[in-house]
Amino acid sequence: MTFFENPIQWILGCILILSSLGVILARKPVHSSISFLLALLTLAMLYLQLSAQFIAVMQILVYAGAILVIFMFVIVLFQDAYQQIARFDAQSAPSLLMAAAAIFVLALIFLGKRLVGFSPSSKEAPEGFGSVQAIGQALYVDFFFPFEAVILLFLIAVIGSLYIARKAK
Amino acid sequence: MLYAICLGLFMPLIGFLGLMTMASRVSRRWANVIGCSTIFISFTCFAVLLLFYANMGIDQLTVTLYNWIAVGKVNADFTLHLDHLSLLMTLIITGIGFLIHVYSIGYTEHEEDFARYFACLNFFVFAMLLLVLAGNLLLLFVGWEGVGLASYLLIGYWHDRPAAARAATKAFIVNRIGDFGLLVGLLLTFHTFGTSDIAEISRRVGQEFSLGAPLLILLTLLYFWGAIGKSAQLPLHTWLPDAMEGPTPVSALIHAATMVTAGVYLVVRMHPVFMLAPMTLQIVGVVGAATSLFAALCAVGQTDLKRVLAYSTVSQLGLMFLACGVGAFYSAMFHLTTHAFMKALLFLSAGNVVHMLHGVTEMEKMGGLSKIFTKTHWLFLVGVFAMSGIPPLAAFFSKDLILEVEYLAGFKTLFYVGLTASILTAFYLMRAYCLTFMGKPRSDDQVLKGTAEAPRVMLLPVTLLAVLSIVGGFLGFAFGKMPLLEDFLLDVGVTRTEQELSSGFLLTPETMMAIAGALLGIGVAFLMYTKFVDRLRRPLTLLKKAFFINEIYWTMIVLPFRAVARFVAFILEPKVFDGFIRVLEEGVQSVAHGLQRFQSGQVRSYAAWMIVGAALMVAYLVF
Amino acid sequence: MDISLTIFISMAVFAIGVVGVLAMRNTLIFFLSIELMLNAANLLFVAFARHWGNQTGLIWVFFVLVVAAAEAAVGLAIIINLFRSKKVVDIDQYNVLRG
Repeated sequence: MTFFENPIQWILGCILILSSLGVILARKPVHSSISFLLALLTLAMLYLQLSAQFIAVMQILVYAGAILVIFMFVIVLFQDAYQQIARFDAQSAPSLLMAAAAIFVLALIFLGKRLVGFSPSSKEAPEGFGSVQAIGQALYVDFFFPFEAVILLFLIAVIGSLYIARKAK
Repeated sequence: MLYAICLGLFMPLIGFLGLMTMASRVSRRWANVIGCSTIFISFTCFAVLLLFYANMGIDQLTVTLYNWIAVGKVNADFTLHLDHLSLLMTLIITGIGFLIHVYSIGYTEHEEDFARYFACLNFFVFAMLLLVLAGNLLLLFVGWEGVGLASYLLIGYWHDRPAAARAATKAFIVNRIGDFGLLVGLLLTFHTFGTSDIAEISRRVGQEFSLGAPLLILLTLLYFWGAIGKSAQLPLHTWLPDAMEGPTPVSALIHAATMVTAGVYLVVRMHPVFMLAPMTLQIVGVVGAATSLFAALCAVGQTDLKRVLAYSTVSQLGLMFLACGVGAFYSAMFHLTTHAFMKALLFLSAGNVVHMLHGVTEMEKMGGLSKIFTKTHWLFLVGVFAMSGIPPLAAFFSKDLILEVEYLAGFKTLFYVGLTASILTAFYLMRAYCLTFMGKPRSDDQVLKGTAEAPRVMLLPVTLLAVLSIVGGFLGFAFGKMPLLEDFLLDVGVTRTEQELSSGFLLTPETMMAIAGALLGIGVAFLMYTKFVDRLRRPLTLLKKAFFINEIYWTMIVLPFRAVARFVAFILEPKVFDGFIRVLEEGVQSVAHGLQRFQSGQVRSYAAWMIVGAALMVAYLVF
Repeated sequence: MDISLTIFISMAVFAIGVVGVLAMRNTLIFFLSIELMLNAANLLFVAFARHWGNQTGLIWVFFVLVVAAAEAAVGLAIIINLFRSKKVVDIDQYNVLRG
């Protein structure tokens, strides 16, 4: 568990936490999204460290490459608007929000305490764990139906978002 | 014979239904014919039955038409029971009813709504016949209520007159108070005897109960309370004078000859039960005597011709109850019969005057009408003499019989009360005659010129009634042998004293006193109201307002009721009931308001609650 | 392979994402925090897949990735629409469905 047993995880973990804090605490939304990008990259590296190569690459391609780009577009579109937030008062009771956050963090801490005393598995990763072949095998053979369903989902999402975001007549 | 009974009973009903349904389309002539012929057919049926009964010596007939109510313990059939008592009553009802129907032909000649009038009169006759022919008390109660309804319909015949409508409502309500007593008595009868069949009750009551049993006293008091309501005795007498707002023939039939006698009929019919409750009989006698005197005093002070006659009816009914109180049921029935003749006579001749003067009933506006009403005033005079008890006219025999029996039974005070009432009767009747027909005319000349004697169709029934009043007394009196009526009503229970009195001409001191008193009353009234009429015309307000009983009832009963009603309507209902509902409503609304705060529309609040839920799930999984 | 640290990291990121959802008023940052939470869950999945040596976990991650992409697209389209009507990105102003 110590730093010296898995130093990579330690370093990557710190960077991840810091960058996610950066997402929240940044003043400007653009800075938030840059922070998010850093977080994503760090995550990809963590995946690599956990021998999930395909997922790591997918993470970069999809998340950092597509989702983040969309976010950036929209943020740029609403560049000036974010300053108007200060005009109105917060409507939700801050006490409620803080209470929720506190309760949640506490719950997570308890869960973590249960889980952290995990005996390390002596299992080595099986042959070809996380490789493209293995994933492809699982995806196209074992989980074919969810795969196709997700494709349908994509179609609907595309049509839906096109329709929602069109210019009103 | 069964068919005769049914035909006689149901003919008036058919007449009523027919006239009601065809009310707007039937012509005057047809309405008259239908209305009178149904009653005539009824009368002939019962007259034929009388012949049968008299010749063949039949005592009674019972016919059950159908099984009406059969619910567990309550078993009442539509049973008609015709014995001598009910036969007598049916003859009075249909006979006098027929004469009054004929009279009404003339009375309604200016009315537009004549079909409804005859229909209601027919309905009344039907209900009254049902009452007297009923074989059990439940059916009798149906007839009882029916006559109450008919009375309401007929008093309020001119429904656009507010006074008439009020009087009709008052009659119905006061009657209702009495009916309540009868209803409770009916229920008690069912509870005690398991049946309401009159014959069975009469048979069993002697075997199952001893003299003076408290249950019987209660039962008879309840019956008597019903009779008080129907026969307008103290304290429920207030409706009868007001009921004079209706047409005069209605007053004659319903409120003189028949409906008000239903109370007396009930007491006489249930006489086996009453004989076993001496305390009630005493009360009956006292109430009768008190009413008799009270009403006579009130009659002295009335200025309205019909009201004099109304109070006179109350007074005479009191005398009948006085007779019942001593157990002299035969005398009561005899007086009922003669009174029916005489009162109808008086009312109808008064009706002649009222009709020809186009609705004027105040004696202040009459006077000296004997020149115009040449025949009517003689008939009225016959009625006055008959009612006062001048021998050998009708009431002498019946009223005197009552007073005699009273005296001989030992109730001397009641005798003197009855005697005073009789003297006053003579007095006020003569007063009415003098104020109406004698002296100087007090109405306008124009009115006098426009009036003439009543038409023949109205005079003929009156004349017939006058004849009956003259000879009617001999129905119940005969020299040396048992008179017809007494023979007829033998099973009603004739006491020994009655037998003696009615078959022998006993000139007892009491009789002398009665005759003297009557002559005194007539003479004094004659003098007062012809010679000194100008100086004496204002009657005492106390008497005119009937000792302010109406006003007392108004303040003591009606106003509190109204206050309670107002309290319920304006305070109890809005505040308590509506308030209770409003509390519920507001409670639900405040709960809804509270729950509304959860739906703020704020995404972050929703997210917060979801996160709290997730945290709870995590906690559950952890522990 | 000891994944305790990974678990801890994943939880921390998830908690940060929750706080972001609750505290940020800018709608875009709100959504970004949601993506952060999804990523933390992904990390956890991958860690456990590695722990048990089961490929299914990775497939699950795959699908989460895909669905997150679709959801981000549609969500941003909705935000654009909302902005057009409300003219602000403050999430507290999107309260027309209040009751």
